[in-house]
Amino acid sequence: MTPAAVLAATPMSTGEMWVFIPLGILALVGALGMVAARNAVHSALFLVLTMLCLGVFYIVQSGPFLGVAQIIVYTGAIMMLFLFVLMLVGRDASDSLIETLRGQRVAAILLGVGFAGLVCVGLGRALAGTTAKGLAEANSAHGGNVQGLASLLFTRYVFAFEVTSALLITAAVGAMLLAHIERRKGERPTQPEQMRARFAPGNYPAPKAGPGVYATSDSVATAGLLPDGTLAARSIPEILPPRELTSSETAPKGTDR
Amino acid sequence: MNDLKLPAIDYAALAPMLILFGVACLGVLVEAAVPRARRGLVQVPLGLLGLVAALVFVIAEAGTRKRTAGEAIAIDGPALFLQGAIIVLGVVALLLIAERSLEPGGPFVAQPARPVGSEADRSQAAGEGGATEAYPLVMFALAGMLLFVAANDLLTMFVALEVFSLPLYLLCALARRRRLLSQEAALKYFLLGAYASAFFLFGIALIYGYAGAITFSRIHQAVTAGTGSGVLLFAGLALLAIGLLFKAAAAPFHVWTPDVYQGAPTPITSLMAACTKTAAFGALLRVLYVGFPGATWDFRPIIGVIAILTMLVGAVLAVTQTDMKRLLAYSSIANAGYLLVGVLAMTPEGVSSTLFYLVAYGFTVIAAFAVVTLVRDADGEATHLSRWAGLGRRSPLFAGVFTFLLLAFAGIPLTSGFTSKFAVFGAAFGGGQVWLVVAGVVTSMLLAFPYLRVVVMMWLSEPGESTPSVSVPGAFTSAALVIGVLVTLLLGVLPGPLLDLTTRAGDFVR
Amino acid sequence: MEHTVQFAPATGLLSGMWLLVALPAVSAAVLLLLGRRADRWGHWLGCLSVGAAFVLGLLSFFALRGQENRAVQLNLWEFISAGSFRVDFGLLFDPLSAVFVLLITGVGFLIHVYAVGYMEHDEGRRRFFGYFNLFVAAMLVLVLGNNYVMTFLGWEGVGLASYLLISFWYVRPSAATAGKKAFLMNRVGDAAFVIAIFLLFAQLGTVNFDGVANQVHTLSSGVTLMLGLLLLLGATGKSGQFPLTAWLPDAMEGPTPVSALIHAATMVTGGVYLIARSNFIFTANSTLQLVVVSVGALTLLIGAIIGCAKDDIKRVLAWSTVSQIGYMFLGVGLGGAAYALAIVHLLAHGFFKAGLFLGAGSVMHGMRDQVDIRRFGGLWKYMKITWVTFGLAWLAIIGLPPLSGFFSKEPIIVAAFERKDWTAWLFGIAALLGAGLTAFYMTRLFMLTFHGPKRWTDDIEHPHESPPIMTIPLVLLAVGSVAAGGLMVGPVPKWLTPVLGHEVRGEAVLAHSAITILAIAVTLIGAGLAYLLFRDGTATAPQPAGALVTAARKNLYIDAFNEAVFEKPGIFLTRALVFLDGKGIDGAVNGIAASVGGGSGRLRRLQTGFVRSYAMSMLTGALLVVAAFLAVQYGWFA
Repeated sequence: MTPAAVLAATPMSTGEMWVFIPLGILALVGALGMVAARNAVHSALFLVLTMLCLGVFYIVQSGPFLGVAQIIVYTGAIMMLFLFVLMLVGRDASDSLIETLRGQRVAAILLGVGFAGLVCVGLGRALAGTTAKGLAEANSAHGGNVQGLASLLFTRYVFAFEVTSALLITAAVGAMLLAHIERRKGERPTQPEQMRARFAPGNYPAPKAGPGVYATSDSVATAGLLPDGTLAARSIPEILPPRELTSSETAPKGTDR
Repeated sequence: MNDLKLPAIDYAALAPMLILFGVACLGVLVEAAVPRARRGLVQVPLGLLGLVAALVFVIAEAGTRKRTAGEAIAIDGPALFLQGAIIVLGVVALLLIAERSLEPGGPFVAQPARPVGSEADRSQAAGEGGATEAYPLVMFALAGMLLFVAANDLLTMFVALEVFSLPLYLLCALARRRRLLSQEAALKYFLLGAYASAFFLFGIALIYGYAGAITFSRIHQAVTAGTGSGVLLFAGLALLAIGLLFKAAAAPFHVWTPDVYQGAPTPITSLMAACTKTAAFGALLRVLYVGFPGATWDFRPIIGVIAILTMLVGAVLAVTQTDMKRLLAYSSIANAGYLLVGVLAMTPEGVSSTLFYLVAYGFTVIAAFAVVTLVRDADGEATHLSRWAGLGRRSPLFAGVFTFLLLAFAGIPLTSGFTSKFAVFGAAFGGGQVWLVVAGVVTSMLLAFPYLRVVVMMWLSEPGESTPSVSVPGAFTSAALVIGVLVTLLLGVLPGPLLDLTTRAGDFVR
Repeated sequence: MEHTVQFAPATGLLSGMWLLVALPAVSAAVLLLLGRRADRWGHWLGCLSVGAAFVLGLLSFFALRGQENRAVQLNLWEFISAGSFRVDFGLLFDPLSAVFVLLITGVGFLIHVYAVGYMEHDEGRRRFFGYFNLFVAAMLVLVLGNNYVMTFLGWEGVGLASYLLISFWYVRPSAATAGKKAFLMNRVGDAAFVIAIFLLFAQLGTVNFDGVANQVHTLSSGVTLMLGLLLLLGATGKSGQFPLTAWLPDAMEGPTPVSALIHAATMVTGGVYLIARSNFIFTANSTLQLVVVSVGALTLLIGAIIGCAKDDIKRVLAWSTVSQIGYMFLGVGLGGAAYALAIVHLLAHGFFKAGLFLGAGSVMHGMRDQVDIRRFGGLWKYMKITWVTFGLAWLAIIGLPPLSGFFSKEPIIVAAFERKDWTAWLFGIAALLGAGLTAFYMTRLFMLTFHGPKRWTDDIEHPHESPPIMTIPLVLLAVGSVAAGGLMVGPVPKWLTPVLGHEVRGEAVLAHSAITILAIAVTLIGAGLAYLLFRDGTATAPQPAGALVTAARKNLYIDAFNEAVFEKPGIFLTRALVFLDGKGIDGAVNGIAASVGGGSGRLRRLQTGFVRSYAMSMLTGALLVVAAFLAVQYGWFA
């Protein structure tokens, strides 16, 4: 349900209102930020923000189980896993964020706003007179929120619940299928082969040099210097452009005095 | 705290689904336990046996009309008929999937994870045995479809939707040739499918807000009682319909169809065209006939406009296509429009004619894609239309068979295409939907043109140097082709028995 | 309808009437499926099957004469049954179907034999006979079906066969375009026919001829009118009548035997058959009859006027066919006795028009496929048999007594004068005028082709007569052209009485003899004028001409009309949909007539579909659908 509809529809307690208004704004900011951020890690973090706000909303609306699950499972586990994967894989610098379709963004924004407006206005008018029932009744029927959910899952929706396992198996099979390359005996290089390849001409057998550590800069983007004073391209990650130190940076800073 | 009581579950009625889920899980175990070279030998009989066993249970339950598993599942006439249809069509599609003689190694790539164009990829293109994981995925998809047409509440329906969609997304990515196209298709299908699912879920939420329940009988009560806010009802119904029409490939939610049909391995395309369409329309029938018949007067004009748009888009854009698989995709879109015409009759005849249409179309389309798998050159299937020119001279038998199938699509009498179109239009006319019938007749006349253009091209033009040869089909493809063509002919000449069956199977339980 | 229509079950020889359809159908299947193995003997099998069907038709005809109820049906199996609705795969052999069966198989057999010679040097001869047999089988289903669905089945079948045969010389782009045009214009008519069938089904619950005939009086006059107009539109599509005229002359791109059989003698008369068969519907509503008569009169004039201006021998004959079928429509529209007269004209026309087309084919055969009559002349010396037979058919079509055209056409003109109000003058004079124009353009055609100075192209030195296998059918058809009319004008209407009702003649506004004299006079004037103008040949290049001739050369702008009304919106619609689809299909989309084939450029563009633009079009759809539902909720549409 959209926040506007809720605002329009139900009388809220003051506490709920004071929780809802700032968190609602934050949730929206997170959602917009997720779409607009240029960096995938930033996007993920914005999503975390929105999910946290949603979790709080669930709890405030007397759905503690869902709220906690939202925070622990989605925000805590899934999004963190997502972040790890993003950081491990690294953002490929070749990703282009330039929109090539003319008018696509404008049209998409207009349509999105139009759709949201349509639904909000419609729901706002529809729900103007209704009072929310809340979950109190449902929660008490089975002795609590968790018990109530459990009883639904294991009675009326037991088949659907069990069938979701098919979804999980499919997902696992699919991940294996699309991501895992099975190497057979002949394909996997043996240890002697690996050694020979390492010392073969053209390969650099030693560990790569670390980035340069200078008094003025110890960024990973600053290349180390080779003995002849040139920059060692190998000392920085491939996706970063090697940065030549400017003359002001290399100039004596007066600390040698 | 009070005790939980498990709802009564009629395992016999659920047996077809349980069997297929079981077979799918077994199939996954086979992948783990059996050496690679022999997996295909185990998977194919396992899948076929499972489908036959499921079909036996469907037939044994033929008279059942009940709800089970806590009202979550309705086993009634349409559900059983559609389950039977999905299983039989699934058997035929599985035959195509299992074919290994056309292409060394079968239609699937051996290791989908290998980067396209790498050395390992080039070596696997030439005959390495295809990924046998496809079989359990197909079983999962079919099991999900069986559940989809029997789901009696929106939550179960949604879970079933995801259960049968996810394996299809994966299967689309497994083509042996033109892998980039195939992977692109899978990704598009996945993204847009997820997008459509979101609409569906939003719809469920609004309907729950309206009726206070998501079981179809309760929704029906609420709609007929007319309590609650109409906005919730109609916005919810609109969003639900969008989710279902996406799967059914109705305009403007059809956009994925041509790309996905073209990119997916052709046997999978046939599975999608036949079985997914059946499942999607089965669910649409149930939602509209069981849940929302009280709102008929409100949704009919809107979905009617969608139906007309769908027929128009399919018919007109089919004319401009230059690729056989895309042409068949647009034809499948147009057929979704005709099916919608049958659905919108909102009469018992509407149900039975739609059921009939689904079966008739399913067999024809599988056979058509079977022919597409046969027309190939050194680079795999030759799907560009210009390559089909003069095929009648090269291989009169297959060109003849394909001509017959195209005539069936065009709705020429004495094929199932004619009887099925006649049935849905007749039902819609009987239901007072003259405007839909007029639009349907006019577009079907138009739609015959691209088909006949292909017929003329195959028979009347000279084979060029680039005209590919037609491979001799293996036993599996031959079987699928023969079944498809025979059913198309039989339903065109003697549709009586199946029409009777659909009439008897037309009663929903609520 | 006062009397109840009832069909007797078939017994004895008549229970074998399914063989009539099966013989050519099986032969077609053999020819098309056996492939090259049948190349050597395929054409003889094709002839034999049609000949056998003719013999069987003749036997059935005599068997029917011995029956008390001259309408015999044979229900082979239940075709479609849904609830109370039931359609049988049933055949009906009654006087009307009998005469059509004899025409189709008889003339069809002669044309088949002729085609053996005509197609001798074409490597696709076996396939040609396959399609030809397919056509005959479908045409027989059309006239033998005992319900509208069966008729439609045959209707689609002949449309399909005709499309394939027009496009037979596929390499010629004009042939492909003509095939498309024929196909699309026929589809307009077919759509109307289908909707008429659904209307019958919805209103009466049956589509059987007997059921409809017995219940048609229960329909309101509005429904009857609607039904009749839909059937009429279907009939105009198949018969090349106004407004769906333009495809028929273009269909001449096919081989000449096709033009003779399909586009002159049989298929194009399907519309006349449909109206005659549905006489109970058309008789029930006088407005409807007026519309049919108007269509007939208009088309007969259009066809005759354009026929005067054309220089292509087959196109002149094609427009003449359009015009003659206009006479038939005029006849069936007049109702009463004129139904039978239209059928008589149809039969007579079948003979002489087939003869004319085959004669034209013979001329083309000898003149290296030249079709321009300005490039003929003086051929009578070189093709004696063709000259004589063509001449007899010419005299027959212009309606000179005592040849068949006179006996079949003149009564229709008389019947037009027998209408009850002032329209008698209108339609009577139109029919008379048509007769004069017919005489003019046919004489022009005859004179320019066979007489006058030689205007041949340089590559022709010695035109030759065609081989006997082509001339014998010509001779037989010429005999038919001479004798058929006189022989049929008495007995055929009597024979058709059980189907078409009893003869009720009105009072003509002019004396019968006066009309006859007028008709002959008009014919002689037209023919004489043409003789005077064209006895010395004509220029071989187009001459500047006045407005009317220019208009006639341009098919009276019917093509331009079609383009504006049908084609342009089609192109626009296609463009719009392609645009909406978000697909970059390039400018090669020429509306409905998009060209096949395509270069690598198009292949590259196939995958310009971005998933985000797809998602956006879905969102647009979602927005509209939700908005529409909410609009319904708030009653914004009401």
